[in-house]
Amino acid sequence: MGLLYQSKLDQIWSRLFVAAPFFAWLFISSCTKENISDFQAQVPAYFPKPNYTKHIQDYTKGRFELGKELFFDPILSTDHSTSCASCHSQTHGFADHNVRFSSGIYGRKGVRNTPSIANMIWYPAFGWDGGVNHLEIFHLGPLTNEVEMGTDMNGVLNRLNHNQNYRDLFKTHYGVDQISDYELFKVLTLYISQIQSFQSKYDQYRQGKVNFSLEEQKGYALFKSHCASCHSEPLFSNFSYQNNGLDSIFGDSGRGKITKEITDYGKFRVPSLRNVALTYPYMHDGRFWDLNEVLNHYSEGIIENSQNLSLELKKDMNLSNVQKQQLIAFLKTLTDYKLLSDQRFY
Amino acid sequence: MKNIISILSIVLVIIFGTTSCDKNKKKATGELEIAFEHVWGMDETAFSLNTDYVHPMNSEALNFSTFKYYVSNIILTKEDGTQWKDSNSYYLIDLSKPSSLSLALSNVPVGTYKSMTYTLGVDSLHNVSGAQTGALSTANGMFWNWNSGYIMLKAEGTSPASSSGSFAYHLGGFSGQYNIVTTKTVNFDTEKLMINNDHACEIHMKASPSYLLCNDAVANGANVMMPGARAKSLALDFYSSVVFEHLHN
Repeated sequence: MGLLYQSKLDQIWSRLFVAAPFFAWLFISSCTKENISDFQAQVPAYFPKPNYTKHIQDYTKGRFELGKELFFDPILSTDHSTSCASCHSQTHGFADHNVRFSSGIYGRKGVRNTPSIANMIWYPAFGWDGGVNHLEIFHLGPLTNEVEMGTDMNGVLNRLNHNQNYRDLFKTHYGVDQISDYELFKVLTLYISQIQSFQSKYDQYRQGKVNFSLEEQKGYALFKSHCASCHSEPLFSNFSYQNNGLDSIFGDSGRGKITKEITDYGKFRVPSLRNVALTYPYMHDGRFWDLNEVLNHYSEGIIENSQNLSLELKKDMNLSNVQKQQLIAFLKTLTDYKLLSDQRFY
Repeated sequence: MKNIISILSIVLVIIFGTTSCDKNKKKATGELEIAFEHVWGMDETAFSLNTDYVHPMNSEALNFSTFKYYVSNIILTKEDGTQWKDSNSYYLIDLSKPSSLSLALSNVPVGTYKSMTYTLGVDSLHNVSGAQTGALSTANGMFWNWNSGYIMLKAEGTSPASSSGSFAYHLGGFSGQYNIVTTKTVNFDTEKLMINNDHACEIHMKASPSYLLCNDAVANGANVMMPGARAKSLALDFYSSVVFEHLHN
């Protein structure tokens, strides 16, 4: 078997050698692209194919660094106060710094809790209500929202085009003399496409590299029977819109605001639970401060006559205190310390 | 196997070589200008922004500060049925920018054309394709930031019929029952379009912003900001006023 394998290898090498001119041509045509396939190859096999692959293919170190500079630069906000990183912090799983509502320009507050932007290349739509249909267009929301960064695209492009540093960088990495929203959206998308969370303890466990404690194991079993139908593995969301029984009268119509369908009122996207231990407070309006409160809600706090209540939540969960702690132990295995300490995002 | 790969490499080189040669071949092409004229009311007086009008149907006093709409996907059809499609076919007609009222199409193959097909609005594909350039850039302020999709027609202004004093109709919708994307065909009956490589041909179109409110009124609601039944009827009423006038060969 070993010999056969060796001779196969030899065959492959000799073929590669013969085809060398072809590969040289391929290499030359792609020589501006630095190789990040090592990182991408680590994405576990149980992950689905991402919805956005172009921005992975278009990756270069230079473009990534340009995206990062923009991500941290408050030049993108009207009053030069707010950057993308203001509300999407690496140390908090790329959600905000544990505030219920984020602060934007002039200290204005948003109306929904800032979600994490990790793993967005796997998302089918964006925002709590799924109103944004493409990852590249996602940036338009925070940039132009009057309580977030409050610019208009002409204004922000004008600023960038008057900034010699950005002019030079866009010229180098995108070959343009004039920066347009096209390149701006591309480079921001390229940057956030690298924010991928797949190296948590849960992932290590799935790959047989570590064991769960007994408590974590029991929590995982409870999770599978009570939570996983909506918070489906491995992204911990099925990306559907659900009313999870928080209110009988909706202060925020959620998905209904987008579709205007009566059956969508009070529904919000099922959020991913990756890094959930760090992204408190919870729910679309950040009303629960810790995971105990969240589990108390699902266990005994569901408002059963809430319109459009998720069918899954009509069944009683009735978790004991021990079970709640087991679930929390499992949820903590979704914290991805490798992502939190990944120096590329410093 | 070795041979196959070597041959493949050579074939690839040849393919790439020849495709780049093709680019150098020039076909006989000409230019076409499509000019949009805007008129008001029954007597079709020339329409302009920041001018007081009285609506001929609902008698409301109106003054438009903004009137913009998309024209896209222009296709010309020859007598034999063969078609030419404008490759970068997205135009934003902005009544505050005179240069935008005339669409300049180049590289149109020389020949005699019997009809022109065009779309009012932006096709569904380009509403869901992420970042775009040119007329489709978000810098034109014609893309909703919270519910993705193009504002295909934007009309704003003032009217005493509005309780706030102003009105804003941002009309879009690219799918389902409230889709407003409208494709129209102009048949050149008596005089065909004869594209030549000597001078630009001209097609003259006419549109009437008064049609926006021909079955509606500011008093019924001064704002429309998302796709829906009213957005659709407003848009389609305006689109019905967009017609072919004449052409110059």
